[in-house]
Amino acid sequence: MNRMSANLAWRLFRHEAKRGELTIILFAIMLSVAAVFSLSMFSERLQSALTAQTAAFIAADRVLDARHPVDDAWLREARQRGINTAHQVYTRSMVFAGDNMQLVSLRAPDNAYPLKGQVKVAAQPFEPGVTTEALPGPKEAWIESRLFQLMGLSIGDVLEVGTQSFQVTKVLSEVPDAGFSLFGGDPKVMIPRADLEATGVIGPGARVTYSYYFTGDSDDLDAYYEWLRPKLDREIHRWMSVEDDDSPLGRSVGRAEQYFLLASLLAIVLAAVSIAVAAQRYSQRHYDPVAIMKTLGASRGMVQRVYLLQITLITALGLLLGGLAGYLIQQGVIWAIADSVPVDLSAWHWRPLWIALFTGVICAVLFSLYPLLKLFSISPLRVLRRDMGATVSARFIQFLAAGSAILILMWAYSQNLRLSLILFLSGIVLVALLLLVTFGLIAVGRRLGQGKIGAWQLAWARIKRRAMDNSVQLISFSVTIMLLLVVLVMRNDMIQQWRDQLPQGTPNYFMINITDAQLPTLEQHFAAQNVSLDTFYPVVRARFVAINGEQVRTDVRKEGEEENQRGRDGLGREANLTWSDTLQYENRITQGVWWSERPDDAPSGVSVEARAAERMDIKLGDVLTFNVGSEVVDVTVSSIREVNWQTMQPNFFFVLEPQAMADFLPTYMTSFHLPSDRKPQITELMRPFGNVTLFDVDARINQLRNIVDQVSMAVEFILVLVLAAGSLVLIAQVQASMDERQQELAILRTLGAKGGLIRGSVLVEFLIIGAVAGLMAALANELTLYLLQTQIFQMAGSVHWQYWLVAPLVGAGVVGLLGAAGCWRLLTLNTSTLLRKMV
Amino acid sequence: MSQSPEYVIKTRDVTKVVDTTEGELQILQPISIDVNPGETVAIVGASGSGKSTLLSLLAGLDEVSSGEIFLDGAPLHSLDEEGRAQVRGEKVGFIFQSFMLVQSLTALENIMLPAEIAGLEAPRERALEALQQVGLEHRGGHYPNQLSGGEQQRVAIARAFITQPRILFADEPTGNLDASNSDKVEKLLFDLNRESDTTLILVTHDPSLAQKCDRQLQMQAGVLTEINGQKAPQREAS
Repeated sequence: MNRMSANLAWRLFRHEAKRGELTIILFAIMLSVAAVFSLSMFSERLQSALTAQTAAFIAADRVLDARHPVDDAWLREARQRGINTAHQVYTRSMVFAGDNMQLVSLRAPDNAYPLKGQVKVAAQPFEPGVTTEALPGPKEAWIESRLFQLMGLSIGDVLEVGTQSFQVTKVLSEVPDAGFSLFGGDPKVMIPRADLEATGVIGPGARVTYSYYFTGDSDDLDAYYEWLRPKLDREIHRWMSVEDDDSPLGRSVGRAEQYFLLASLLAIVLAAVSIAVAAQRYSQRHYDPVAIMKTLGASRGMVQRVYLLQITLITALGLLLGGLAGYLIQQGVIWAIADSVPVDLSAWHWRPLWIALFTGVICAVLFSLYPLLKLFSISPLRVLRRDMGATVSARFIQFLAAGSAILILMWAYSQNLRLSLILFLSGIVLVALLLLVTFGLIAVGRRLGQGKIGAWQLAWARIKRRAMDNSVQLISFSVTIMLLLVVLVMRNDMIQQWRDQLPQGTPNYFMINITDAQLPTLEQHFAAQNVSLDTFYPVVRARFVAINGEQVRTDVRKEGEEENQRGRDGLGREANLTWSDTLQYENRITQGVWWSERPDDAPSGVSVEARAAERMDIKLGDVLTFNVGSEVVDVTVSSIREVNWQTMQPNFFFVLEPQAMADFLPTYMTSFHLPSDRKPQITELMRPFGNVTLFDVDARINQLRNIVDQVSMAVEFILVLVLAAGSLVLIAQVQASMDERQQELAILRTLGAKGGLIRGSVLVEFLIIGAVAGLMAALANELTLYLLQTQIFQMAGSVHWQYWLVAPLVGAGVVGLLGAAGCWRLLTLNTSTLLRKMV
Repeated sequence: MSQSPEYVIKTRDVTKVVDTTEGELQILQPISIDVNPGETVAIVGASGSGKSTLLSLLAGLDEVSSGEIFLDGAPLHSLDEEGRAQVRGEKVGFIFQSFMLVQSLTALENIMLPAEIAGLEAPRERALEALQQVGLEHRGGHYPNQLSGGEQQRVAIARAFITQPRILFADEPTGNLDASNSDKVEKLLFDLNRESDTTLILVTHDPSLAQKCDRQLQMQAGVLTEINGQKAPQREAS
């Protein structure tokens, strides 16, 4: 009996496949597997390529920072695990050249540094840097451009570091792990690691950071960290990876990853929708064979075995073909963009394949469940009473199975319950809305559909009848359109925000240490040279000493400058204080109020950056104490600010109320943009202002812009892939519903209805369905986007009015056209063929 | 519960009541008939008179509302759908007006289907033989929609006889056919019936077809009468 079931299942499968009857369900499974596989494979490849590229910004895949040298055994262990290591020591030290002295950021790397990214050097200060494989030789020092300026040095001069003399041989233009902060801190000096001890600058009491760099296979690195973690002391050690990178770059990449994830999740839902539609149709088409088999004496168990086997065969074939198609699609995309995205995308990942296969199986199983249950329930009596349908009508099983399938897949794939729930709940809201609309349509349709029969009346009559029977179709159109909208709008908003972050003319030079007296001359000089300066910010260097009279512990932290450079984890003792009457660009008060809203007699206030406040546990009303030179400044925390660090603008942890700083003479900082072709003029521009320190962030901005461009392009491709998948789903849906219409068309045709009437009625019907689906999709899209933007992408939520109009129009247009096209195909068949197909 | 199969079909006060929006509707008044083995019985009547309902009950496709049906001794009224399916598989063959062939199986495979379901040996060989009997040996590899109506019904007849059923139910077997095909199908049906000594229950509109049967029953508004004027439930329930 079992063998017989297998034989019959195989026979049915073979014939139906050959006759094209399985095309739609096979296509749906294929589509799900291909879409998920190609999207996730592409995004995984792109992510790992981008991560590899961003790894350059910490000079490795992982970095361990320590306050003391670490046990050699730790490094040996890493190397035994096949991980490459490098090492660098940072400290701040005073250096001397003749009578000049200057506090510098001293870097002493070993020869393996950097493991990722490049060191760039130039022959003369402020010249563009070129990549070098070498590092300073014994007794050589490479120093930053502005140190030449600050100390009046030239190439070949001698620089004293501690007790040793070093010859300045090159200009250090760029190191990979310089960070993105504009307050680059002290100028950098690089000397060989081997020469460091002899200088004596890392003796007792010196603030030194020992950085250990690691690169290797991601799994190996994770395993190594697991091994290392118990040995680490939070006070002394800090472990970092690119993913922790909180720089604008890290965030852009992080956001792009979220987007890819979103796109893949949506592809899963699209696939699920198409399988649901296809499975329902598959089930309906098999009502007769099941009734016949049962009439001929087949038991329920036998029918179940035959069809479960058949679904298994279909799924297996769908998985195979879908996997192949998915691989080819993403390979095609990679081939197409090879020229524009200069990253290696050839790495193979297994995860996307498993995920795609898993998706195909779960979709096929859970979405076929209800249609199959209906199929199994078909009464043999159908052979006599042709209109008899399924006797199972437990819709909740369908919703439960479909819902849990989608949620399980989204969760399994994203491992992000929040993202999954957001999408899922928006979906539920959409479905609920659609059911309401469906009922509304029936009511409206009853009125509109009355009168003499024309295309309009026929269309309404069908909607009225089908709206209840086949609300699945309306829902699937809406969900498809909504998903496409989400992907499209998210991509627009995200790319726009990236572009806004680095608009043309973004300042690429920063000046600090401008004295009060120099201000007018400097402004005149720059105006004469046709360079416009941005806002001047007063700056006073201060020590942050106490919160509510309690000393701030700073000794466990690294020196302030290094901290600021990396823009995370605590402040040092040194802080740049500024004051202003107005809130800076892209700053937002989250707690408390700005000065203008405080009473006049309130003590002098300070506004603290939100994350710094959180880290140091600073609350509204706390009194912060700063030492400025020998003076003590007490200020009360009157507001907490959120700062968008992604703008390449000067930003401050502490902004004081101007009255608190009235007695101090500040220096000023400002920024300006100088086009690349005018770069050689920089020396001329700065010559009159020897004391002013210049930061050149041009290279950083270009790096950032490149990455953002590449990520944007990748996002565009993902969008195209999702749109293509979505369109295919729409076509499949229209096609499926067309088959159901066949019978009605045949009858109308037989009764002599003109092609124009039939076409018109189908067109009107699809226009109405498309418009309603589009409108519903626009509503649901708004909700989903708001949740996604605020909860996942950390962007400001926005309303997209234009889509409220665009979506119904496009929905009506596309669905209407597809419907008309499908109908036109049916009308080209002659009536007897149509009638025969009905049997 | 099995009774000795003195009669191949025996019903006692069988009724069918269905729920409609306007309340209960009694489709069949109490019906008691006995059919002898090998007998051919025609049930005639207007559309909606209840003859197809009676056929569905006799063949075990539907459940009775009350009363008893024994099909070759098997008490259909007390069996569930699974039990009835087994009885159908073992004892019953069907022929329908709309042929009811599985569209995605070839003619040969359609004929094999009941033999396979019943677990008979060598279903393919039996099917080939049956195909030959209905004169379609050259059409075995064709799908139903590649066959004419007459050919499809001949395939259906071959399928009905392959398991050598005790009883054959035919619902308007020539209803969808033209005169010439009707004649061929009729002849085939009665010839095979005779050869295999099967009991034939035939529902038809066609008086000439009905007249070829041993007995004719008339269904009118749910009441079954012998065509000679006698009311069908001639025997009291035993």
